[in-house]
Amino acid sequence: MKRRHIINIIKKEWADTLSTWNTRLLISLLPLLIVGEALLIIYLVVRFAGEAILMSAVVQSALEKLEVISPAMASLPATEKLQVLLFSQIHIYLLLIPTMIAITFATFSIIEEKQSGSLEPLLATPVRTDELFMGKALAGSIPALIVTWVCAGLSLLGVFYLGSARILDIVVTSSWFISVFVLVPAVTLLSFLLGVIVSSRVNDPRNAQTISLLIILPVFALIAVQIIGVLVLTPWLFLVIALVVGVIDVVVLRTGVRLFQRESIIVQWR
Amino acid sequence: MAVIETSGLSRSFGNTVAVEDLNLKIEQGEVLGFLGPNGAGKTTTIRMLAGIIAPTRGQATVAGFRTDRDVEQLHQVIGLLTEVPGFYHRLSAKRNLEFFGGFYSVRDVPAQADRYLRLMGLWERRHDKVSTFSKGMRQRLALARALLHEPQILLLDEPTAGLDPEAAKDVREFIRSLSQQGRTIFLSTHNLAEAEAICHRVALVRRQMLAVDSPENLRRRLFQRQMVVKMDSVNESIVAAVKKLDYVRTAYIDGARLIIELSDFEKNRPNLIERIVLAGGRIQEVSETEHTMEDIYLTLVHEEAKGTSADKKD
Repeated sequence: MKRRHIINIIKKEWADTLSTWNTRLLISLLPLLIVGEALLIIYLVVRFAGEAILMSAVVQSALEKLEVISPAMASLPATEKLQVLLFSQIHIYLLLIPTMIAITFATFSIIEEKQSGSLEPLLATPVRTDELFMGKALAGSIPALIVTWVCAGLSLLGVFYLGSARILDIVVTSSWFISVFVLVPAVTLLSFLLGVIVSSRVNDPRNAQTISLLIILPVFALIAVQIIGVLVLTPWLFLVIALVVGVIDVVVLRTGVRLFQRESIIVQWR
Repeated sequence: MAVIETSGLSRSFGNTVAVEDLNLKIEQGEVLGFLGPNGAGKTTTIRMLAGIIAPTRGQATVAGFRTDRDVEQLHQVIGLLTEVPGFYHRLSAKRNLEFFGGFYSVRDVPAQADRYLRLMGLWERRHDKVSTFSKGMRQRLALARALLHEPQILLLDEPTAGLDPEAAKDVREFIRSLSQQGRTIFLSTHNLAEAEAICHRVALVRRQMLAVDSPENLRRRLFQRQMVVKMDSVNESIVAAVKKLDYVRTAYIDGARLIIELSDFEKNRPNLIERIVLAGGRIQEVSETEHTMEDIYLTLVHEEAKGTSADKKD
């Protein structure tokens, strides 16, 4: 892969896709809404339904498991324990941001080229398919990642103001760092690669978006298993998941390149 | 030396044969017109030559590179003008050229983009979004894109299709200037007059190759030269006098004109004119029947339909 080609694609994608205000707004507002909504829900749940929720056996079991990996929780009052449990989900919840952005934008990446007729002259240049895929995926992943990290910072501010400095200390663990700085980039790249692949395989953007919605399912599954205490994600488990996703990234890129049949895309597109 | 060479080049889509057994050699600096109606396989052939689609049978080499194998090297040396110009409409003309130029080994892409924007008369609009461009401007921009990396081989698919006469003329003149620079040009078109005006040779296709030669040679191969003698009036006695001459094959009246097909045209023409005058003919004008590319094309298609195309005869 030639870095020069990938950078060329990234620059073009940024100039093209990010040239409209509605795109810029969507990329920045959507993540803020996701984080804002998460913080608001946590605040309301703790404020108005905290005691009732603490009675739940599922929550009690989740709190016990969480205490094992965060012993500092033991000294906290019950309501704050609940806050720790809920705030600890936000960094997993952050994974929704790049996947949502990928569904919105990556799914259009190749389809739009087909529609405008720019794909044929592009494929007549010396650009390679893997460069095209990587360029398009990174062009979306980089801003999505930056926005996600900004949201991660904002969520910590939310934890501090809605909770306390003590809760913040417990929430920001090595798991948090691994999740935000290793798992989020891996998931981001995966979401965009899958989005680009789907975009190359279908001709209708609506179909592409519908298929791409499946990308979100594993993220929801991760949130669900963590929140109901089926599985408490330790730092090691986060690292393993991140590594597995990284390997999947490579496999998906290679598979995507093989699936990208230049010929059928050009010939079958009308 | 042939710069573009195809050997038995064929392409099918399912049961549909788009191109069949195409054998072609194009020399350095030659402009070859690839003529045929819609669905004749012109775009498919260009796509095969550009390495975008692979042949199902046969092969093609362009600048020594196999189009089905050496695609990356091939793309460095060819310039392709696609049937649909295809640009990023939200980007400016200059930004579009810089993007496409960024994949080639061009030393200074922005300077090269500027050069072609000036050459194509788009300099004043270089910062405007392509979405605001007319069809003619987009076509000129597409030509600029195809030329950015200074390829010596150009594959042009219907470069004047859908353009108004003035824009089409501009594009034709530009192609002619490229030919004068010694570039090899494969020009697909269904505009017969355009092919005749620009091309050294024309290949007439309808799925298969019907004929390939210069327009003049094709005329000679397909049509006998006919003398057209316009007179005050033509009568049967003049026709009879002409028909007696052993070098006259046929002669017939067409209004006030006498049409004569004769052998050894240049040698016998003066004598024939003299005989007509002696037979009482008052000649106004002597000319030769014009056979257009359209005549050539229709004759070849008709022959192909009968299974006796000119190439098969050869």
